[in-house]
Amino acid sequence: MSEQEVTSTDNVGKNEDEIDPAQDPRLELLAKKPDQMEKLIALCFVVAIVCFVAMMVFYVKGSSTQVEGALMAVGFGGLGVGMVAWGKYLMPKGPFEEERHLIGSTEEDQKAFADVFIGRGTVAVKRRSFLGKLLGLATAVFGIFALGPIMDSLGPNPGKALDSTAWKKGSKVVSEHGRAIKVDDLEVGGFMTVFPEGNVGSYDGQTLLIRAGSSDIVTMAGRETWGPKGYLAYSKVCTHAGCPISLYQQETEQLLCPCHQSLFNVLQAAEPVFGPAPRPLPQLPLAIDKNGYIVAQAGYNEPIGPGYWNF
Amino acid sequence: MPSLLKKDKPKQTGAEKATAGAKWLDDRLGLAKGGRVFFNKIFPDHWSFMLGEIALYSFVVLLVTGVFLTLYYVPSADMMTYHGSYAPLKGTQVSAAYNSTLAISFNVRFGLLVRQMHHWAADIFLGAIAVHMCRVFFTGAFRRPRELNWIVGVTLLILGISNGFLGYSLPDDLISGTGLRIMFSVVESIPVVGTHLAFWLFGGNYPGNGVIIPRMYMLHVLLVPAIMVALVGAHLALLVKQKHTQFSGPGKTEKNVVGTPMWPGFMFKTQGYFFLVVAVLAGLGGWAQINPIWQYGQYFPYKVSYAVQPDWYMGWLDGALRIMPSWEFQNFGYMIPNMFFPSVLLPGIAFNIFIVWPFIEAKVRKDYKEHHLLERPRDNPWRTSIGAGALAFFFMLFAASSTDVLANYFNISLNLVLWFFRFATYIIPFIVSAVTYKMCLELQALGQYGGRRKRFNVVLRTAEGEYLSVKTPARPGDLDILSGEEEEPLELTEQVSQKLRESAELIGVSGSESTKVQPPADEGVRTVERD
Amino acid sequence: MAFRRLHVDWLIFLSIPFKLKYLRKLLPFVVIATVIMIAMTTFRSGAQISKSGSSMENLASVSTSTSSPSGSTTTSATTTTEAKPKPPSVNTGPLLYESSGTPASKSQVEQGKIYFDQSCSSCHGMGAEGSSRAPNLVGLGPATIDFWLTTGRMPLSNTIVQPERKPPRYDPSQSLDIVAYVTSLGPGGPLIPNISGVPNASIAEGASLFALNCAGCHTITGAGDELASGAYAPSLHQATPTQVAEAIRTGPANMPRFSPGIMTNRQVNDIVKYVTQSIQHPNNAGGFGLGGVGPVAEGFVGLLIGVGILMLFALWIGDRS
Repeated sequence: MSEQEVTSTDNVGKNEDEIDPAQDPRLELLAKKPDQMEKLIALCFVVAIVCFVAMMVFYVKGSSTQVEGALMAVGFGGLGVGMVAWGKYLMPKGPFEEERHLIGSTEEDQKAFADVFIGRGTVAVKRRSFLGKLLGLATAVFGIFALGPIMDSLGPNPGKALDSTAWKKGSKVVSEHGRAIKVDDLEVGGFMTVFPEGNVGSYDGQTLLIRAGSSDIVTMAGRETWGPKGYLAYSKVCTHAGCPISLYQQETEQLLCPCHQSLFNVLQAAEPVFGPAPRPLPQLPLAIDKNGYIVAQAGYNEPIGPGYWNF
Repeated sequence: MPSLLKKDKPKQTGAEKATAGAKWLDDRLGLAKGGRVFFNKIFPDHWSFMLGEIALYSFVVLLVTGVFLTLYYVPSADMMTYHGSYAPLKGTQVSAAYNSTLAISFNVRFGLLVRQMHHWAADIFLGAIAVHMCRVFFTGAFRRPRELNWIVGVTLLILGISNGFLGYSLPDDLISGTGLRIMFSVVESIPVVGTHLAFWLFGGNYPGNGVIIPRMYMLHVLLVPAIMVALVGAHLALLVKQKHTQFSGPGKTEKNVVGTPMWPGFMFKTQGYFFLVVAVLAGLGGWAQINPIWQYGQYFPYKVSYAVQPDWYMGWLDGALRIMPSWEFQNFGYMIPNMFFPSVLLPGIAFNIFIVWPFIEAKVRKDYKEHHLLERPRDNPWRTSIGAGALAFFFMLFAASSTDVLANYFNISLNLVLWFFRFATYIIPFIVSAVTYKMCLELQALGQYGGRRKRFNVVLRTAEGEYLSVKTPARPGDLDILSGEEEEPLELTEQVSQKLRESAELIGVSGSESTKVQPPADEGVRTVERD
Repeated sequence: MAFRRLHVDWLIFLSIPFKLKYLRKLLPFVVIATVIMIAMTTFRSGAQISKSGSSMENLASVSTSTSSPSGSTTTSATTTTEAKPKPPSVNTGPLLYESSGTPASKSQVEQGKIYFDQSCSSCHGMGAEGSSRAPNLVGLGPATIDFWLTTGRMPLSNTIVQPERKPPRYDPSQSLDIVAYVTSLGPGGPLIPNISGVPNASIAEGASLFALNCAGCHTITGAGDELASGAYAPSLHQATPTQVAEAIRTGPANMPRFSPGIMTNRQVNDIVKYVTQSIQHPNNAGGFGLGGVGPVAEGFVGLLIGVGILMLFALWIGDRS
């Protein structure tokens, strides 16, 4: 402790000054044959120059990324190897030593600082504590004001936006290209991504239309009429993380989410059977209108997609 | 100093000019004294001290390549028809962001190289941070007085991961768009304020009104890098102020630093290392394709590709999402979604433990002293085993993020792979911890005989079938690594000597003239030079 | 030397039994967890195998009943509803191709029966009516039979959950004979698709359709990946244009079926062109494609090769004591 206080930073390099450079073993080079090493390093730098010149040429002429990458790698590799070798083999090999001092200040310094800070400043500030409070209040009021523009600029409040989708009673089921889907369009084992008419491409309207073998469907109470002629429609948005579910395994009648491998049973109201998804996919009640088009009986009766704190 | 600069003396005119220039600066800034201290700063020679430099130089490459990319990238989600030179997408609807990224890849000379270097630099930046952090952790370099620098480092890691994710999402390709959607769900899952935060971030319900790309761009190129540059500066300033740690060894004490001075030796080495980092990144950028967005296509919220994973540094979070059981808590009409636990709570807890670890350890070990000499991992078995267990845990989470790829590669059922990870992620870290603990103790036991030469044990089988493990005797010149003194040759106990002698006789070796065991012949001895 | 010597610097910990009593206490839990894990997984995969077997039969029976509205309501062996102007031949077998109105010849059917009896009948039955081991083939249609034969998935080499692609046992013309024979047993099902429009198809449109309908399972690079319940989406890199179109139309195994009501012939051709050109010959302008599996492979390359090489450089630059 006391020893370190005595040693000042000015003495750091003392050792080098005292020792006769000619006899200081630390100043020797690591390289046994410095001249040879110098030639090698020079070669490295020449390689780098050649590569960089070639890069200029290829910049003008145009070339493939592979040629560019290789030239750049070799060029910078030459520079790097050369410089490291120069520093490692042609410079004093050391090891040198530096003294270390206690990082914290001495007690006198700390006390002197405290005297200045508390003695001079705090007294002057504390005497007018009311002003201080007023200053804080003024800043706080501005802060509250600033919340308004900031929050408005960032985005709207959620409100009911997450509760409903573009599907409503009588929405025609249309394809990605806006074509209305008729009852004969899908064979058993077929599936497609559909949207409500007028909202093609919407995120929350995306729905999977599946035609399953009607005999195997286990209908839940209250959903008896939702799946005419073996057609089932589930929200394509996974209830886990909101990925679009695109993996329909028609033989095992399962839907698999590509992101985290949640598995849903198509025949049993898309109940999750495996993976992290906690809730079944919401089902869209379907009907077939008099012209043979598939339409929605109503919108989804629950929010689609991942869970959230309904606040 | 003069002695170091001696070689430059013959170049009189150049040196004079430099001196004059330096004097001009010093007259105005007063740098000579501080500069001398700075150029005398000693950097330890051990290779593990260079790991942080990989991160630093990757960061420099990120800044430089990033500036180049901003000259071409268009942060806009406006849709347009693609007329660029990648034939398969001609005539399709793409966003301006995707269009400009394709242009960088195909129409800008060196554009694809720079883009790929930027992406590789991000991967390697975070990889180097992870390795550097392991070095700091396992050697106890975070102990007093370096707790603050540890916290700065952890903050840099968090910011690096965040910025990596932001940059990954900018091209607006199919895979990154899916990642963005998951991020919306992650934010949405935070109890009470989640939906509000998500709406504020994305400017409305997903996918927002096209504001997320310009916002991410602002964060990615301005806000986060600015903070990171400041923190990197603080990280290095603290390093200079507090000086390096070092491993213990001959001549190395708590009160000095032994190594190469900043000027000129270390400056050349580290500058060369910077060039080597650039070289490796250029090699990867030119030859290893990363994120070929032209193969992925434009993102649409209803399109998706299978086998979507985030970049590796986000992989552990993705893995945590996958192995989470399908739980969701619904009470009083309010829901805590499934996503909250693995994607908000887990990283929250993990990073907070990282940050407070130096204080936890100081408290547990009641060790509030300053430490400048590093511990070898074996010297602190508890810390090492906890760290190894944590590493194993994160590695298992990371591996779990590729359940589908693993299942496909090894041709096993996806369900089986998932169940394996659901258990193994929690079991394996404990096993790794226990084994590490044991290994540390064993290495400690070996350590006190560590001299200039590695002395090894000989396993002997006696005539009775008993196995003996005997340390070979010290030989002249064997130095104790700690004291530096010559070791006393180790006398074997009479009992062991007797057994050895008997067995030697039995197999017909004349070892009977000495009571000491014959030292093994040189051919079998592996000598390790230590400097 | 005299003694059997062993280096034990690092390995010594193996020779000493674990004394950690905590580990021993944990052991029962580990054992129980492992047993539960194995039990659950075997239960699952077992259930899956039996299910896929039964649904295979469902598939066959269902498709005979439902595919009738789209194509052939006639009971004649030649479904000539689409190919009216063709002159009736004496030696006509069933119609196999969408594109040509020429039906298969009788000799093809006869030759096909020989092959079928040799290689297929042991499982599918002498009349292709199916058995407990294999599904009914009657009425599946030429495209289905052709797909399974030309991709080498049939005849099966061993019974596993999902057959794998391998070199086909029969050359294309022999396969066609079998197709002709099986088709002659009963009508229905999709014909071998017409891919003559592929050269004029739009790759861009194909890319868009692929991302919506195919990438979900086969991945956007066509590398394929593991699905749930032991099923997998195969790689598309070896598929021929005809096979791609057949797979789209017939939905082999777990793949859904994209009937003309979902996807027009032109759209199928767009996808075929995209798969056989862009997917099978990807533009890897950036270097090695790393298997087309995305960030997982990239992460390993970055960490092992990138950081690895740099650490080797560090070893050179610094000390190694």
